[in-house]
Amino acid sequence: MAFLTLDKLTKKFGTHLAVDGLSLEVEKGEFIALLGPSGCGKTTTLQMIAGFVDPTAGAIRLEGRDLLAIKPAKRGLGIVFQSYALFPHMTVAENVAFGLEMQGVAATERAKRVAETLELVGLGAFAARFPRQMSGGQQQRVALARALVIRPNILLLDEPLSNLDAKLREEMQIELRQIQRTVGTTTILVTHDQAEAMALSDRIVVMNQGRAEQIGPPHEAYERPATPFVANFLGKTNLVNGTTVRPEKISFSTSGLAGKVRTRIFQGNHWLYQIDTDSGLVTVIRQNTGETMPAEGAVVHLVWAPSP
Amino acid sequence: MSKNGPLALAYHTLFVTFMLAPILVVCWVAFTPEGFLSFPTDNWSLRWFYAIARYPEFVSAFWRSLWLGALSSAIAVAVSVPAALAIARYRFPGREAMTTLFMSPLMIPHIVLGIAFLRFFTQIGLGGTFVGLVLAHIVIVLPFALRLTLASAIGLDRAIEHAAVSLGASEWVVLRRITLPLVLPGLASGWALAFINSFDEVTMTVFIAAPGTETLPVRMFLYIQDNIDPLVTSVSACVIAITVAALVVMDRAYGLEKLLVGRGVDGR
Ligand SMILES: Nc1ncnc2c1ncn2[C@@H]1O[C@H](COP(=O)(O)OP(=O)(O)OP(=O)(O)O)[C@@H](O)[C@H]1O
Ligand SMILES: [Mg+2]
Repeated sequence: MAFLTLDKLTKKFGTHLAVDGLSLEVEKGEFIALLGPSGCGKTTTLQMIAGFVDPTAGAIRLEGRDLLAIKPAKRGLGIVFQSYALFPHMTVAENVAFGLEMQGVAATERAKRVAETLELVGLGAFAARFPRQMSGGQQQRVALARALVIRPNILLLDEPLSNLDAKLREEMQIELRQIQRTVGTTTILVTHDQAEAMALSDRIVVMNQGRAEQIGPPHEAYERPATPFVANFLGKTNLVNGTTVRPEKISFSTSGLAGKVRTRIFQGNHWLYQIDTDSGLVTVIRQNTGETMPAEGAVVHLVWAPSP
Repeated sequence: MSKNGPLALAYHTLFVTFMLAPILVVCWVAFTPEGFLSFPTDNWSLRWFYAIARYPEFVSAFWRSLWLGALSSAIAVAVSVPAALAIARYRFPGREAMTTLFMSPLMIPHIVLGIAFLRFFTQIGLGGTFVGLVLAHIVIVLPFALRLTLASAIGLDRAIEHAAVSLGASEWVVLRRITLPLVLPGLASGWALAFINSFDEVTMTVFIAAPGTETLPVRMFLYIQDNIDPLVTSVSACVIAITVAALVVMDRAYGLEKLLVGRGVDGR
């Protein structure tokens, strides 16, 4: 039996189907990403698990128990909101201690666990600060610590990194993954960033218009997308003579599909090419190995292995 | 900050003069030794300040105004909190009507309210009582209390309360530990604005106050109907001095801007 089960979960707002019969089984300790474009129902799904939105139909079970029968305050879930939602009038330590206080944990034990958790997210020295005195990345860690300190059944993360700049986001992704591995908490992450979903999760759920288009490990979904939507959402694709090919699977050769380089963009670790061929415009990504590459206007030949 | 040009400077000077001139004139006249309102005056005297002591009803009216303002504003704010939270977050039938009802005293001339309350209170036996004054003042200060309470309730991020709930807080704990502290700056400004309006009110109050329940502005208003001496100017000067002292104390304690403009605790 799965740890968490979403069974044909459905939510209608008026006549609009925000979530449409979503079924998902999550194992204990698993890291799941709900991935999809804006408005596809990711937040609504998360809010139904958290208990702030009531499903129109379907069931949610945690270790076989009906989660919908339990009040939001009693579900024991840790939630990190997109806006962090820290308590602005409390210090970092008070923010993190709040959940323990609600559980009636004694003051000495509380202080110990707050200190441990702040240490875990690398904020040991910031306990006495107020949220407004901290950067976005630091506030994000406080929100994470506040959710983790209660040792939640499940950690729910709603676009936790989307307010951070690209470099910090990448650092936090690595850190988030390490923390999740350390504490082993079952985690559901909501994101519209496919790189983030693939970097962090054991399995991704690609959502479109309230439905799950594909559920599986990131590598599998990327290599064997179930639908054109999944293929496009997870990365760049080329449609050449009726077959889909990822740009990085195409290489230059002495024979093959002939074309002329229209644009060439250097992106540090790789080159991005757009090539005019008889079958239309083809995007090609080549690893930067330091060798000289075909320049704009050059005539090239493209080859690729047939997809599995 | 950029420097003001000569034109802007002249404008600001004029504006400030226009605002302050009546206050300064009143304070100046209060120090006259004459038995009538004379301005300008060359001689100085504290005669009319000593005179206040001979009119204890002014002092008791001052305390009554203070209590009346404090009490009616506090009740108005207490009523505003649930109303503001409901209006800010739920769409329910009668929501628009409720908002309009709470705001309506702003649109009704106070003289009309005065006559209406006079009839009503006489009917139910509250005519000329302090309780009647409090009830009437709650009605007129409610729009001010609600306006500012509503502004801070609307500015509140629902996710913050959801975060508290997910951490195991009951509804009551969320209200006490999260919601109220976060709307507190709005409540304080709402109370202050309501108090000022109550303390200032004369048009309506003159109808419903009786001898013995007169507020300070009503007492002053009635006094100048029968007298031409400068007693009211010395009383005014005292009120101005007390107001300035109160403002200085509040500024030291909280920061006036926060209180009157209603800035949130975290500067939002
Ligand atoms: N309270 C609500 N009332 C009416 N419609 C709603 C409500 N909440 C969400 N919706 C609608 O449901 C759909 C799904 O919303 P949801 O917030 O789950 O999207 P999302 O996938 O989280 O998008 P984003 O990436 O933009 O956050 C949207 O079309 C949205 O307009
Ligand atoms: Mg969302």
